[in-house]
Amino acid sequence: MGDTVTEQPARGKSYVLRAERITKIYSDGTAALKEATVEIRPYQILGLLGENGAGKTTLTKILSGLLPPTHGRVISPKGPVRFTSPREALDFGIGMVHQHFALVGTFTAAENVALSHERPFSQLQLAKTRERLAALMEESGLHVPLDVPIEKLAVGEQQRVEILKVLSRDVNLLILDEPTSVLTPLEVDVLFSLLERLRDEGKSIILITHKLKEVGSVTDRVVVLRQGEMVGDVRTAEVTSQKLARLMVGEALDEEVDAVELRDEELPSTRRRAEVDRSGAGVLHVENLVVRGNTGETAVDGVTFDVYGGEIFGIAGVEGNGQSELVEALTGLRTAVSGVATIKGTDVIGMDPNRIYRLGVAHIPEDRWVLGLVLPFTLAENAILGIHRWERFRGPLSVLRRGRITKHVRELMDRFDIQATGPNAPAKSLSGGNQQKLIVGRELAKDPAIIVASQPTRGLDIGAAHYIRQTLQEMCDRGRAILLVSADLDEVLAHADRMAIMYEGKFMEVCAPSDLGDRERIGMLMGGVGCEEMS
Amino acid sequence: MSASDILQLLRIALHAMVPLALTAVGEVVGETAGLFNIGLEGILLLSAFAGALGAEAGGPLVGLIVGMGVGAAVSLVFAVINTYWKGTQMVTGIGINLFAMGFVAFGLIQLGAPGFHDVPKAAEVIKWRTGVGSFSPIILVALILPFFIFWFLRRTRAGLMLKAAGEMPEAADVAGININGIRVVAAMFGGVLAGLAGAYMSVAWMGVVTKDLSAGRGFISLACVVFSGLNPLLALLAAFIFGFFQALAEWVKTLPAKPIPGEFVSMLPYIVTLLVVSGAIGRVRFPKALGVPYKRE
Amino acid sequence: MTETRPIESRLLRGVHRTLTGLHPALESLIAALVGLLVGAILMYIWGFDPWKAYYALIRGAYGGSYEWASSIARGTPLILTALTFSICLRAGMFNIGAEGQMYMGGIASVLIAYFVLPRGLHHIVGLILAGIAGAVWSLVPAFLKLTRGVHEVISTIMFNWIARWLGLYLTIFVIVDPIRNEKTLSIPLSARFPLLVRGTDLSYTVFVAVAFALLVYFLLWRTAMGYEVRAAGLNPTAARYGGIHNRRTMFLAFILGGISAGLAGAIIVMGQPPTYAILGGGGMPQLMNIGFDGMAVAMVGRNHPIGILVAALFFGGLNAGGRVMQFYGSNPVPLEMVRVVMGAIVLAMSIPELIRLFPMIRKRGEELIRLLRRVGRRGEERKAS
Repeated sequence: MGDTVTEQPARGKSYVLRAERITKIYSDGTAALKEATVEIRPYQILGLLGENGAGKTTLTKILSGLLPPTHGRVISPKGPVRFTSPREALDFGIGMVHQHFALVGTFTAAENVALSHERPFSQLQLAKTRERLAALMEESGLHVPLDVPIEKLAVGEQQRVEILKVLSRDVNLLILDEPTSVLTPLEVDVLFSLLERLRDEGKSIILITHKLKEVGSVTDRVVVLRQGEMVGDVRTAEVTSQKLARLMVGEALDEEVDAVELRDEELPSTRRRAEVDRSGAGVLHVENLVVRGNTGETAVDGVTFDVYGGEIFGIAGVEGNGQSELVEALTGLRTAVSGVATIKGTDVIGMDPNRIYRLGVAHIPEDRWVLGLVLPFTLAENAILGIHRWERFRGPLSVLRRGRITKHVRELMDRFDIQATGPNAPAKSLSGGNQQKLIVGRELAKDPAIIVASQPTRGLDIGAAHYIRQTLQEMCDRGRAILLVSADLDEVLAHADRMAIMYEGKFMEVCAPSDLGDRERIGMLMGGVGCEEMS
Repeated sequence: MSASDILQLLRIALHAMVPLALTAVGEVVGETAGLFNIGLEGILLLSAFAGALGAEAGGPLVGLIVGMGVGAAVSLVFAVINTYWKGTQMVTGIGINLFAMGFVAFGLIQLGAPGFHDVPKAAEVIKWRTGVGSFSPIILVALILPFFIFWFLRRTRAGLMLKAAGEMPEAADVAGININGIRVVAAMFGGVLAGLAGAYMSVAWMGVVTKDLSAGRGFISLACVVFSGLNPLLALLAAFIFGFFQALAEWVKTLPAKPIPGEFVSMLPYIVTLLVVSGAIGRVRFPKALGVPYKRE
Repeated sequence: MTETRPIESRLLRGVHRTLTGLHPALESLIAALVGLLVGAILMYIWGFDPWKAYYALIRGAYGGSYEWASSIARGTPLILTALTFSICLRAGMFNIGAEGQMYMGGIASVLIAYFVLPRGLHHIVGLILAGIAGAVWSLVPAFLKLTRGVHEVISTIMFNWIARWLGLYLTIFVIVDPIRNEKTLSIPLSARFPLLVRGTDLSYTVFVAVAFALLVYFLLWRTAMGYEVRAAGLNPTAARYGGIHNRRTMFLAFILGGISAGLAGAIIVMGQPPTYAILGGGGMPQLMNIGFDGMAVAMVGRNHPIGILVAALFFGGLNAGGRVMQFYGSNPVPLEMVRVVMGAIVLAMSIPELIRLFPMIRKRGEELIRLLRRVGRRGEERKAS
C-alpha cells in the first residue's frame, strides 16, 4: 500500500461538497449516522470504509438525494444544498452507482441511458443515444452490448451500464457503492483505471467498500465509518492496512469498558470449555458444499466443516459473501447443487424445513421480519411457527391446543424476559430485541441437537444481544452444537470455539479464534487480504 | 352459411370488438405504468349511461365526449387513491363496479323505465351505410389506435418512462420521473378510452342503455390485456377474437333451428376467454411493480 | 432537544393515537358514514330528500321486530358469500367468484327434489350438495392458477358468467317445474327450512349461516390448517420457513370459499317462502348480486367472521330498509341507491389509513386559511396605499 501516490494539485482548499454533522435517525429509532462530517474534493478518489451497518450507504444516499438527513446539512461552494429527489442531485452533478442497480431489467442499455436524459415528449432518438454511448464507451474503456435487455447481461456488464448511465450525465461527483462485489479481478482493474482517469480529469469519486485491498490500490484518501460515526479521515499514502483494519473493526478503548466488560467474561481464555469429542463427523457435517444464489451465481463455493455437539462454530465475514445461502441450504430453504450436508448422519440436501426441524434443528433466521415472524400474528401464534403441527400443540382433527400453546408462550416470555402486553399482543408491537428473544425462545424450545443462528444479535441493543449470546452459550454448555453466522466480528471471536472467515463463498481459515492472530490480521482476512491458502 | 352470412358475422364482430379493443388498449397503457384497474366494468357502465344522457342533450358527439369525460374522472379517482394514497387497487376497482351497478340502475329508474332506456335515434352516432350493412366510424378508431399506442410505447420517451414506472420504479425515480404523476396520467388515458367504449355501446352501437349493458366486457378486456402481454396489437387481436365469438353467439340465437341452446352459446365468449388466458399465460410477463404502490425507500 | 409544539397539534396527535388503537372497526365505521354521505349527496342532487330517505331506511331496517327480522334475513346469505371472499383473501387470493359458486350451489340444492328423504337428513343432503357444487366451481380457477398461473380474478369472473348462463339453462330447461315453468322445482316440504318469525322471510337458515361463520372462525383461528392458511396469506416466506406448503393451503382456502358460496345459494332456495324454488326466466333474481354484495360485506367486516356477521346485519339492514325507503313519502328514493351507497363504502374502504387523511385535511385546511388571510391582508394593505 502506498504505492499509489497522488499529488494534490496546488488548487488550494477547493471542495465540491461538504457534509456537515449529518445525522440520520430512522423512524424506528435506529441511528444510522451520527454527526458525520466529510469534505469531498476534486481530483480525488475518496474511499468510504466500514463494516455492515456502519452508515456508508446511508451517507451516500443522503448525498445523492434519495434520503433527507435528520440533522445537519450539505454545503457546496455556492451555499447549502438540499436535494428532494435523486434527479435534483443528478442535475447538480452528483451521480450514484447503486449496489442494487437502478436499471430497468427489460430495457436495453441504450434505453436505460435514454431514460435519464432530458424529457421532450418526442420520438426516441435511440440512434443518437447509441452514438453518444459508443463515444463514451471508447473514452471510458467500458464496453457493453447496447441492444440487449439488461436482465440478460452478466452482472459485471450490468454494472458497466449503470456506470455509463451515470457518466453520460456529466457528473462531477461519482459515488460507487461496493462496485467490486460483483466483478472479477480483471474487471476490477478496468474499473479502477477508469476511476483514476476520471479523477485526473478533475472529478471527485467516492468509493464505498469494505475491502482493504481496494482502498490501498485506488484511493487517495480514506474515511472510516464505524456504527454511524466517522472514526478516521486520512490520506491513503499515510496509513497502513493494519491501522485501517483496526479503525474499521474497532479496538477496545478504555472509554468503552462498560460494553467490553460484558464481553470480557466471555473471552475464550476465561471460559470453561468441556472437552469436545471431535472424532468422526459432527452433528452437522458439510463437505464441498456448493450453493447457487438467486441470480445463478455461485454463492457458496465448496465449503467443508463440521460442527460438533458442545461447541460453537462461528462463521464471520462481511455479509454477502455466501453466508445466507449456506444457511438456507442447511435449513431447507434452498437446495445445494453439489456436495454433502448431513445432520446427525441424515442427508439434508433438498429436504423440507419441516423434516429438518424434526431432525432436531433450530434455525434462528437472519431476517426476523421476513423469515422469522409473521408480524401481524400474535406472540402465541409466532411461538409455534414451524412446530405448529407437533403433537404437543395439535390435537385431533388438527385443532390447536390453545391451553398448551398459551402455557408454552408464557414460559417463553418468562424464561427469556420477553416484554409484551401479553401472549396475544401482535408480534409487530414488540421491540426488535423482544422479537428476537421470541424467535430464539421458540427455536430453543424444540430442544434441538443443533442450532443454526444467523445474525442473531443484529439490530439489538446491548442488553438483548448479551442475553441471546448467553443463551447460546448455555445451550452449548449443555452439549448442543451451534452454528453461529455473524457479521459482528467481536461476537464470533468472543463466543466461537472454532471459526471460519467467509469470503466470496469460501472459508478463508478454519481454526480457533485465538489462533487467528491479532485483530489486524483478522480484519485483513475479512477484507480478502492474505491467506491465499484457503480450505 | 352463405357468404353474406359470413359478412354479416364479420360486421357484427367488428362492432363487438370496439368496446373490448378500446378498453383493453387503455388498460394496456395503465398496466404498463403499474396500475391494475378491475373497475373497468364500472367505468363502461357509467360512461354508457352518461354518454347516452349527453347525446340526448347535445347530440352524438357530445355523448361520446361526456362518456370520455366520465371515464377520465372515475379513473382519476382510482389513480389518486392508488398512487398518492397508497390504496389497494383491487378493492378500489371492486368499489367502482359496485357503485356503477347501483348508480346506473338508479339512474335508469329516474329516467322512467327501470332496467333500460332507449337512446333516441337522433342521438345516435351516424353510421356509414354500405351494401353489407351499417358500420360505425368508431370501428376505425378502434382499429387504428392500437397501432398508434404501439408506436408510442415503443418509440417515444414518454413510452419509455411509462414502462420504467411499471417495471422498476426505483430506476425511474432516480432518472427523475414522477412515478405517481405518470401513473395517474396513464390511468386517466385508459379511463378516457374505456369511457369512449362505454359511450360507444350506448350511443353508437346498441342504441340502448341497460342495467348490465357491459355484460362482463370490462373483465373480458382484462383478459385481452393478459393475453396481449401488454402489446396493444395483440390486445386488438384478442378483442377481435372475443368480439367474433360474441357475434357468433348472437348469430346463432337468430337461427330458426337452434343447434345448441342459446344459453350455451352465450357462454361461449367467456369460455373462449378462459381457454385463451390459460393457454397464453406461459409466455406472458408483466411489469414487476404492477399493483404495488411506490414508496421511496 | 425537545421542541415545544402548539397545543392544537398535540391534541390532534393524542386523538390520532387513541384512534389508531381501534383502527379496523373505526375505519369501517368511517367508511360506512362516508358511503352514506355520498348517497345523501347524490340523493340531494337528484332532487330527493336525504333525511326522509335515511329515516325510512333506518326505520325499515331496525324499526321493529319485524324489521329486524327482515334485515337479518337479507343479511343471512351475505354472511356466506362474504366468507368466500374473506377466506381466500386471508390466504392471499382474490376470489371474486362467489356469485357463480352461489348459483351452482342454489341449483344443486334444488336437486334434492328428486329424492325422498326424511326431514333433517333432507336438509343436510341439500346443503351438502350445494357445498360440493360451490366447491367444484371454485376448484377449477384454483387449479388453473396453480398449474397455469391464471390470475384468479379473471378466471373466477369468467366462471361467474358461465355459471349465470348455465344456471339459466338449467333452471329453464332441466330442473324446471313442469306445471309452472317460470320457476324450478320446489324444494320438497321435508327439506324446507321453517320460518323463524312468521310473516317475515327469516328462516332457520340464519342458524346455518351463523354456524358456518363460527365454523370458519374456528377453522381459521383454532386449527393448524387454518393457521397455515393465514400464515401463507400474510407472509409466504415465513410460512415456508415454518414448513408450510403454500400451494396446498391455497387449494384449501378456495375449496372452503366455494363451499361457503354454495351454501349461500342453498339457503336462499331452501329458506325463502313462498316458492322455495329458483325463479327462472328473468335471470334468477333472488340470487343475483348476492355474491358481489358479499364482497362489500367482507371488506367492511374486515375479513373476520365476527366482523362479517355485524357487517352483514348492516348491509342486510340497508337492503331491508331500502325496500321500505322506496315506497316512503311523496318522492321516494329507489332501492338501487342502496347499491350506490355500498359501492361508495367499498371505495372509501380502499383508502388505507382513512383516519390519517383527516388530520392531514385539517392541517391543509388550516394552512389554506392562513394563506388566504395573509393574501387578504396584503390586498387590503395595497388598497389602502
